[in-house]
Amino acid sequence: MFRNICTGLAALAVLGLVGKAEAQSAAETAVEAAKQFAGTEITIVWEAGLQSLDPLNFSGPKWKELTGIDVKVIEVPTAEMFTKILQEHRAGTGAYDALNVIPSWMSDLARAGALEPLDEYVDKYGYRDELQTIAPVYRDNQMKVGDTIYGFPDDGDVFLFYYRKDILEENGMSVPTTWDEFAETAQALTDKYAPDMYGAAMFRDAPYTQWMFQERFRVEGGRFFDEETMAATVNSDVGVKVFAEMREENKFMPPGVEAWGFVENLAAFLAGDTAMTVSWPPYGRWAAGYGTDEEALSWVPKSEIAGKVGYALPPGGHPQLAAGFSLSVSASSKNKEAAYLFIQWLNSEETSLERVQLPYALRDPFRDSHFASDEYKSRWPEASEYLAALQEGAVSGLLDLSLIQTDKYEEALRQGVSRLWAGEDPQAILDDVAAQWDAVTERIGTDKQKEAYLDWASKPNAYPQ
Amino acid sequence: MATTYEAIGDRGVKYWLIWPAVLILLLIGLFPIIYTLLVSFQNINMLEEDTSFSGFMHYAALFGDTRLWLSILHTLIFTAIALPIELILGLAMAYLFLDRMPGRQIFVALLVLPVMISPIVAGATWRLLFDNRFGPINQILGWITGEPQTILWLVNPNFVYPAILIAEIWQWTPFMFLLLLAGLSNVDQSQLEAAELDGASWWRTFWKVVLPAIRPVLAIALLIRALDLIRLFDVVWALTKGGPGTMTETISIYAYVQGFQQFETSYTAAVAIMIILLLSIVVILVLKRMEIAR
Amino acid sequence: MKAAAKSTLPGVPGWRRRERRRLAFRYVGAVIVTVLFLFPIYWLFMISFKTPAEIFASPPTWYAESLQWANYAVLFKDGDAVTVWNSLVVATSSTVIAMIIGTMAAYSIARFRTGGDNLAIWIISQRMIPPIVIVFPVFLLYVWLGRLGLAWIDSYHGLIVLYTAFNLPYVIWMMRGYIEDIPIELEESALVDGLTRFQVLWQVVFPMARAGLFATAVFTFMFAWNDFIFALVLTRIDVTTFPVQVTHYFGGQSNFWAKIAAMSVLGTVPIFIAVALLQRYLVRGISLGAVKG
Repeated sequence: MFRNICTGLAALAVLGLVGKAEAQSAAETAVEAAKQFAGTEITIVWEAGLQSLDPLNFSGPKWKELTGIDVKVIEVPTAEMFTKILQEHRAGTGAYDALNVIPSWMSDLARAGALEPLDEYVDKYGYRDELQTIAPVYRDNQMKVGDTIYGFPDDGDVFLFYYRKDILEENGMSVPTTWDEFAETAQALTDKYAPDMYGAAMFRDAPYTQWMFQERFRVEGGRFFDEETMAATVNSDVGVKVFAEMREENKFMPPGVEAWGFVENLAAFLAGDTAMTVSWPPYGRWAAGYGTDEEALSWVPKSEIAGKVGYALPPGGHPQLAAGFSLSVSASSKNKEAAYLFIQWLNSEETSLERVQLPYALRDPFRDSHFASDEYKSRWPEASEYLAALQEGAVSGLLDLSLIQTDKYEEALRQGVSRLWAGEDPQAILDDVAAQWDAVTERIGTDKQKEAYLDWASKPNAYPQ
Repeated sequence: MATTYEAIGDRGVKYWLIWPAVLILLLIGLFPIIYTLLVSFQNINMLEEDTSFSGFMHYAALFGDTRLWLSILHTLIFTAIALPIELILGLAMAYLFLDRMPGRQIFVALLVLPVMISPIVAGATWRLLFDNRFGPINQILGWITGEPQTILWLVNPNFVYPAILIAEIWQWTPFMFLLLLAGLSNVDQSQLEAAELDGASWWRTFWKVVLPAIRPVLAIALLIRALDLIRLFDVVWALTKGGPGTMTETISIYAYVQGFQQFETSYTAAVAIMIILLLSIVVILVLKRMEIAR
Repeated sequence: MKAAAKSTLPGVPGWRRRERRRLAFRYVGAVIVTVLFLFPIYWLFMISFKTPAEIFASPPTWYAESLQWANYAVLFKDGDAVTVWNSLVVATSSTVIAMIIGTMAAYSIARFRTGGDNLAIWIISQRMIPPIVIVFPVFLLYVWLGRLGLAWIDSYHGLIVLYTAFNLPYVIWMMRGYIEDIPIELEESALVDGLTRFQVLWQVVFPMARAGLFATAVFTFMFAWNDFIFALVLTRIDVTTFPVQVTHYFGGQSNFWAKIAAMSVLGTVPIFIAVALLQRYLVRGISLGAVKG
């Protein structure tokens, strides 16, 4: 933990200076230029639910106040965002102006022509410098397709490990650094405390768990494809081992964990019903009680564990940079300029710093300056440890698999996970998944897909280094 | 009779009256199907708008598509289980309310509510009811069994079919009930009394007198429900979206997923044509035989 | 009718008592069945009034402490409630159009047997095709129109035309039955009196078929109102209907139960009104006219 603090302090020292050196900020430029569109309305596709509270309650109204442009938020469930955006592009009605795009889909959407190339706008409105201060892993992997900018990385999503410091300490246990240790520790805690408290819980619903699988599969040494033949190798011994272990772990987790999503798992952890969990960054904030008094979060159970939560990287040390969001402009928009200016303003140093600190929203620190923000660090006593863990995750994290028609590969995994919880044999499931992957690859064209895969696999954060 | 009637006034009027309807039906009913047929021979998918003709490639692929055949199987399973249960429950309820009882109209009006609400709302409602922690169903089962229940209705493969079937049967049993109640009310009273005087058992009376009398109603009720079940979509969509895995995927859901999520446009067109062909044959054959065609 | 027949039987006291006990049992049965079938609807309504703490109570509570309207207020504040308005616009317009066009066609078929049995069967078989199979090509058609610069996806007219077409077979089928119930002699004497065909339609047929028109219209409205799959495929933002909106609250980080329930209730209340209005025509309406009720 001491090391984390040091990293954080160092980052603060360096980046605090850079941040101050700007003359007219990108946010101001955007606001000035956008005033000419006052009175118009732009639509932005946003993930349904909590994520949308940001544009609904904060950034939308503020933008309206600054520029006179109305923002209409289109809430779409995560699992349907890709579909809706592509459907809309196919239909070409221009219903969507700005978009939230999960980075692993960006290349598909760009290839289909659904996204507007942003380079021209970036130059026109002087945004290049501020794009550079986005944390490297997001900037280098979630912004471009080829050499063209298609989106602004806007959410530092990474799986973190949250644990009860007090409980581990009481039992003389250390923070698990491998999945074996994790299972051992969790089992011991469950044996001792259940049913009052379980050693661990996770969200286990298929859409989220497939990311968890991607992480663990690679941490254990798995490779998705054979680089020569492009045959799917997801059904290797490693894959089967991870699948089998994941199901085995459910036994020391609370009954019914297979159906848990983000909120169920959160509720249990905050109530002190579980001692360890892995999830996206907002858990860390809410566990500390930050912002849970807000009316928008009234449904989040009050944290019983504020001050007792430790932050670390998940076992294996290479957290999945699961999902995340980039802001893009729809190619069929009829108001591209205004849509662009809105996302530049949202993504800018100034606005984004406010947005990642919105207690009720789900955008997580993604700029160097966010990790270093004194304001943020003062939000709750352990906030600096939290930011340090996030920053560390942003360095060692693993990218979501991204190929041509990624969604089809993910869909096969999602179905696999859901069959896993249904009790089928891991080897049989993964053989099916691999067969589906091979079929998709063949349809797309093995050589074409191989090129895309090798390009992805060559990135430093594709596999653990 | 008809000749004198038709002879009066403008003879062309019958065409003037019907052409707008036929035009719309052709426009929305026929033209798109021809278009689908065209698309099914092309090769359009998510990323490519390849309009060159690919012959019967997609039709050939239908045969090797296990997910498609499984989805047809799931649809038939839902139909085969839900239909008889709805029928029997509906019949039992119809008998319960058959004889005069004050306030019957109110009961019937209340019981018919499930039929009238949107199936997607029905599905959403049952999703809330089946929730393993915040829903009342596990709670009630807990009271009955005496220990807390955490059945994962929509995840556990042993419970997901019962869950969907319960929702489906809940919504549509009143439909059967209502129709059978009407049918039973119209059974000739004197025949029943004659059977009673002969000392015929209840069963015998039912088979020999009641069933033949309500057969037309029964047939139409079963036909309507069977066709509804074959296109089952909303309730399953709200509850499981076809999961876990593809375990509860119906043919309609499969077509939606292929067409609008996987963007296999041409392949979906082939699936659609197959469904249309199969169903049209069945429907037209059945309709021609049935009372409804008169 | 049956009970009336029995009550004329000699009033044996023992028989009376048995009959009364039987009636009591039937009431108990009726109440149990009704409670079972209404419980899900009760639960839906209750959740829409619960506070977050009450919704996420485990074990669940069976009633809301107070009837607080916050869950509804939020739908109006965020503008989600406009989806109910969209449903209303689309369902009403398509009903009116389908009723006009459909009744005309029904009259033609009922009185002149236009097209013979085959046309009638073709029309009703249109109704039997699974909606997914209809909407898929319609989507492609609308997209194609979009390329020509005509906005049909996510537009009122796009949905209205589809619902009209989808409901037409039903209207034609039902109205044919209702019109056939009207004695043809009335029309004949009117024609002999010198009224034109349209005057006959307007002054004789419509007033006579008023009840049928009304019942058919309410059912037609309801089909459009309750539809999910057409709207799912053909709407984006501007004309999203309430069933599609309900599904938007599933998923994401959590299921937004309060919104699901409140939005569902908003979309269900009009249906309850429809049921109240329809009483006499329910059976005939839902059995495609096969059972006269």
